[in-house]
Amino acid sequence: MKKLCVMLALLFVIAGALPGLAQDMLPYPSQLTECEVDLTGETLNVFHFGDLSGPYAFITQPVVSALTDGVAYWNSRGGVCGAELAQIYEDTGGSREAAQSAYDRFTSTYGDELDLLVLYSSDDGELLREQLAEDEIVSFISAGSIESLYGEDGQTPGWLYASNPLYINQFGFFCQFVAASPEIFPDPVIGFVTWPNAFGRSGTEPAAREYCAGLGVDVLAEPQFFLPTDTDILTQVQNAIDGGANIIYTNTLATGPALIAGTLVDLGLEEEIKLAGVNWVMDTTVGLLGQRVLKPNGLPAVDGMFGSMPFLWWTELSSPAVQFVYQQFTLNQRGPTEQNIAYLLTWGVLDSIIETYIRTINRVGSLDAVTGADIRETVDSMDYAILGGLMHHRFEEGMRDGTMNRMAVMKYANADMSGFATGPADALLVDGPSGKMFVPIVHALTDFMPVPQLRGQ
Amino acid sequence: MAEYINRNKRHLTWALYALAGIALALFVGDQLAGLRAARIVQTLISGLLVGGVYGLVALGIVVINKASGVFNFAHGWMMVVGGMIFWSFFSVNEISIIGAGLLAAATMFMIMTTLSSRNLRERRNLLITAGGAVALTALMTAGGGEWRWLHALTGTFAGAILTGLAVERFTIRPLIGQPLFTAVLMTLAVAEVLHGVTQIAWGTVELSLPIFVDPATGSRFRPIRLDSLREALDGLAIIRVELVIAFVLALIAFFGFILFFRYTSVGLAMRATSEDQQLAQSVGLRVRVILAITWAVAAFLASIAGVLQGGAVGLSLNISFVALRVFPAVLLGGLESISGALVGGIIIGIVEQFGTLLNASEQVGTNLAPYVVLMLVLVIRPDGLFGEKRIERI
Repeated sequence: MKKLCVMLALLFVIAGALPGLAQDMLPYPSQLTECEVDLTGETLNVFHFGDLSGPYAFITQPVVSALTDGVAYWNSRGGVCGAELAQIYEDTGGSREAAQSAYDRFTSTYGDELDLLVLYSSDDGELLREQLAEDEIVSFISAGSIESLYGEDGQTPGWLYASNPLYINQFGFFCQFVAASPEIFPDPVIGFVTWPNAFGRSGTEPAAREYCAGLGVDVLAEPQFFLPTDTDILTQVQNAIDGGANIIYTNTLATGPALIAGTLVDLGLEEEIKLAGVNWVMDTTVGLLGQRVLKPNGLPAVDGMFGSMPFLWWTELSSPAVQFVYQQFTLNQRGPTEQNIAYLLTWGVLDSIIETYIRTINRVGSLDAVTGADIRETVDSMDYAILGGLMHHRFEEGMRDGTMNRMAVMKYANADMSGFATGPADALLVDGPSGKMFVPIVHALTDFMPVPQLRGQ
Repeated sequence: MAEYINRNKRHLTWALYALAGIALALFVGDQLAGLRAARIVQTLISGLLVGGVYGLVALGIVVINKASGVFNFAHGWMMVVGGMIFWSFFSVNEISIIGAGLLAAATMFMIMTTLSSRNLRERRNLLITAGGAVALTALMTAGGGEWRWLHALTGTFAGAILTGLAVERFTIRPLIGQPLFTAVLMTLAVAEVLHGVTQIAWGTVELSLPIFVDPATGSRFRPIRLDSLREALDGLAIIRVELVIAFVLALIAFFGFILFFRYTSVGLAMRATSEDQQLAQSVGLRVRVILAITWAVAAFLASIAGVLQGGAVGLSLNISFVALRVFPAVLLGGLESISGALVGGIIIGIVEQFGTLLNASEQVGTNLAPYVVLMLVLVIRPDGLFGEKRIERI
């Protein structure tokens, strides 16, 4: 695995300009607002809780790693405006009861100090939406469901802010891409094969179907659900195909996309049926776990899978943000499975938390005086390039989610790292814990473009 | 009218159930009639094979219940621990001799002190303990990466025995003679402890366990394609090899345990212990040893199931939830029935798959159908399909 990490690093070095990465500490990429208040002697806590040991553990573990690295980074440089940075978190194991209990504990223990809370999942967002509003606590989340961000009517902005576009909007964006790419998707019919939770169901709403139909892309009305513990999903995949689907779309992660891709290979339909999904299908875990089943051409089953990529990726090393996070990742000796979306985005979340606090404290005069309402006022007026461009926070006019997205495809590197592998013969193979492994790379197919707004329709 | 209903209540109830059953059968039949034969055959194959894995998980739960009367809620986490131990040995080329030695020594210590820690005062027992530890360590570490299967199987065996004996020794044994419900609650606590231990030891990131890999291609075994039947079935049906392997292993385990419980003295003693621990003790059976063996066996079964499940979809903490899905199979087959576990597992597997075939969008297969079948069976046979009918004198 160490070698894999080294090879990935090598990939990056070849792929882009990364001068003297190991030698010189790169400057912090954001143009943070100047501190007007000295917070020396105080502690700025980053509160977060969520599923660290349940179905989402594969993507959430690096959240803690990134925050640990981020907190250490800031404290080694004198903190934020002099205040020591700390993180306070709990594992809810994916249970709603545990999430409610964690929330109750956080609010009762930290009271007025808890003005900003980081959540991980749409389920928790839906559960706590009303309580956050009542307690006036702002929450940052990477991506939320319509209900968590905008309420049941899809029109009532709450106290949760998501950096990624709504999953339904990501799906609408995918339909745009499909409609604009008839050479890849002739006569497109999309069938959902997905998990049955709030995250998994996003995009299956009638509004999304109608929007896609308007673009000439049919979407099957009946989504096919499976559980993360399922060993065999032939029935669900065949249901979708029998329904007419030639594109399978999924809101799953880790083993989810890998299981669908493997099933398509089992059925010999890997070329006929395209696979696509929400931004999490582009995660490193999918690229690694998707190697269990190889296609007849010898490449992993998830090779060629499409997905949303509403932020920069690890390979885009021309960006100072990615260079910086990559350097921190390397310095902290993080493992390959942590080189994923969550690690990258969490550095962004920390950056936006710091910027939010600096702006708010500058306005209200002290850390103690900060309230959730003050934080909300700051966030509502923010137009901020996170880490100088990793993603963008702009929540004007009641927006609670990201508005820009792009499409990408998962591929595997070729041996001389000049492009994509066409088979095992020209693929870059590295030693892994269970033999040779392919090196996954995510390749952007479009520029960043506005997503359609499908909520509340 | 009221009097008639009162007098024939039982018959009327049965008639209503029969009507509901017929209506359900007609509805399902109508739905299936519109499908290609290939889909029905494929669903049947998938259900049968997935059901085999369920049966193997159910067997572990039944073994504990059969011997001690305890319903083990920690079984899912024992699966995770077993799978993780297997992965630890399988995924590295060189095994730490110190780690393997500690595992072997702890296992042998627990085995030799099952009856009493005073056993170790005897020189002969000490030698057996040391010899066993050395042998286990050698099996876990000898050779290089090409011996990983041997390392992993031995390590998993030792780890499972250690887990089972430790659970019994420190949590179940102190409760002998206490109400069974206390022991059942204890298994809930054990589940949480194992959850925590797993998280600390192996983290929560999903691990790949490529045991069903064709060495020639480096890919998971290609499924068997029933191409010759394509025309007759109006479509393609496939059989996944890894599920067939799991199914065959499940069958071997079942027949082994049926014979074990029927013909071996330990098996018979386990059955006697489950009837009445105090009575068993009074006729000279070593209840503590029997319970310890039971837990070790159940932990080993859980480990096999964990490895198979991990090999099929990847190794993660989610595997523990499979045990929850198996509970209807255990109840359906009968809590004390070995063959019932297999039959229950297969029925639930098939019902799940057909439920999914007919309505995957409402999760009929996983959330509704198994429980409807369970309900119907329990109404007709309250002890499950193969459960022992108990008559208590009052």
